[in-house]
Amino acid sequence: MAGLAAAESIVVPDKKLEGAGINVFVDEVNKIDTKEKYVTTSGGKKFNYDKLILATGSSSFIPPFEGKDLKGVVSLRGLEDAKNIRSFIAENSPKKLIFIGAGFITMEIASLISAQNPGAFDISVIEFLNRPLPLMLDKDMADPVQEYLEEKGIKILTGKKVEKILGSDGKVTGVELASGEKLDADMVFVNVGVRPNIKLAEDAGLEITRLGIKVNEYQETSDPDILATGDCVEKINFITKKPEGGRLRGPAVVQGRLAAKRLAGYDIKFPGVLNAGGCQMFDLVISATGFSEEMAAKEGFETVCSIVDSRSKHGMIPGMKPWKIKLIFDKKSQKIIGGQIVSHAIPPAREIDAITAFIMGGKTIPELTMFTSACNPDISSEPSMEPIAVAAEQALRKLK
Amino acid sequence: MKKGEKLVIVGCSGAGGPAAMMAKNLMPEVDVTIIRKEEFFIVR
Repeated sequence: MAGLAAAESIVVPDKKLEGAGINVFVDEVNKIDTKEKYVTTSGGKKFNYDKLILATGSSSFIPPFEGKDLKGVVSLRGLEDAKNIRSFIAENSPKKLIFIGAGFITMEIASLISAQNPGAFDISVIEFLNRPLPLMLDKDMADPVQEYLEEKGIKILTGKKVEKILGSDGKVTGVELASGEKLDADMVFVNVGVRPNIKLAEDAGLEITRLGIKVNEYQETSDPDILATGDCVEKINFITKKPEGGRLRGPAVVQGRLAAKRLAGYDIKFPGVLNAGGCQMFDLVISATGFSEEMAAKEGFETVCSIVDSRSKHGMIPGMKPWKIKLIFDKKSQKIIGGQIVSHAIPPAREIDAITAFIMGGKTIPELTMFTSACNPDISSEPSMEPIAVAAEQALRKLK
Repeated sequence: MKKGEKLVIVGCSGAGGPAAMMAKNLMPEVDVTIIRKEEFFIVR
């Protein structure tokens, strides 16, 4: 979307696959015959299989807003969408841009367009909930993000619901909120989630849930010769063991490789998802894993939380940037169940991977007070300010 | 899977591509085929 990389460089290259001895066909599979064990394509080809892996992904979901088909209403999922957005901006020179939903893709695109064209656009983001990035951050961590983005000129309207998209002569002219308020727009970006691509599996008679294709811990479907992986399948949450969507690339890659391992005879189970993810807006990097405080409460956890301000380098080192971490613990078990990072430098945001490892390892508040990081003046805060241990110490005091 | 058996993978983005590469890596004697509908498909 930024125009910084050629399309060919950001997809799995066919040469890499073919070089490994894999046959690659560009065609659409339109039917699975589970009895005779073959698939057919819209191009008229037939492929027999002994085992089949479905990795059919997901598609952007645009709510059935009135006006969603107007020219100038755009979304982003794949390369063609990115090209469409760039060409629409180049050809129509829109000034007022409205983004519906403050999820990470929307916020990244809004900030990217703003950063590449300083002062050229009047950008507003409309979010139904009370903060940006509501699936990643609690309000106490989202507030500084909102302030930062507003300083950069992006208006964020929270607690507002879009009722319909307005247009004239087939072109978008604005949006109308549930309150009746109308906002002008020359381009409206809608990206409020994805839905699993399950039609092929459904037509083949595989077990489906409202969250996707049903699979076990080995990625096996209800058909013994068909596995399914990635965005098209129902996931299990690592903490609650309850079904959920969890459509992110990280679990998709791991599940894809797991399906292959299963077929090769390995007995490794998928542990469930934590929905770890990250995004960048201008120079601000945000990452999160596990449950937010709000999500944990919805799941019935009583939590103990702590927030610590830290720095990317020792205080005396030039170029030091501030960052902030929030840890969420289950009060009963004292286990860590979530983490959030808002950082003005990229490296600290990767500490979220340590939080993910701690959650998967069932680490508790007392155990995390003993955490020591690989400290160095140029790459971390001072050992005395190691934020994960300090946050655990805060939580320890709150338990008394 | 055994030597000469056919593995077909539908889709080649976040899950399908890694599944194919891992399958060929672990089972070089299995015939692995990917069928994808997109000329290019970008995942985030």
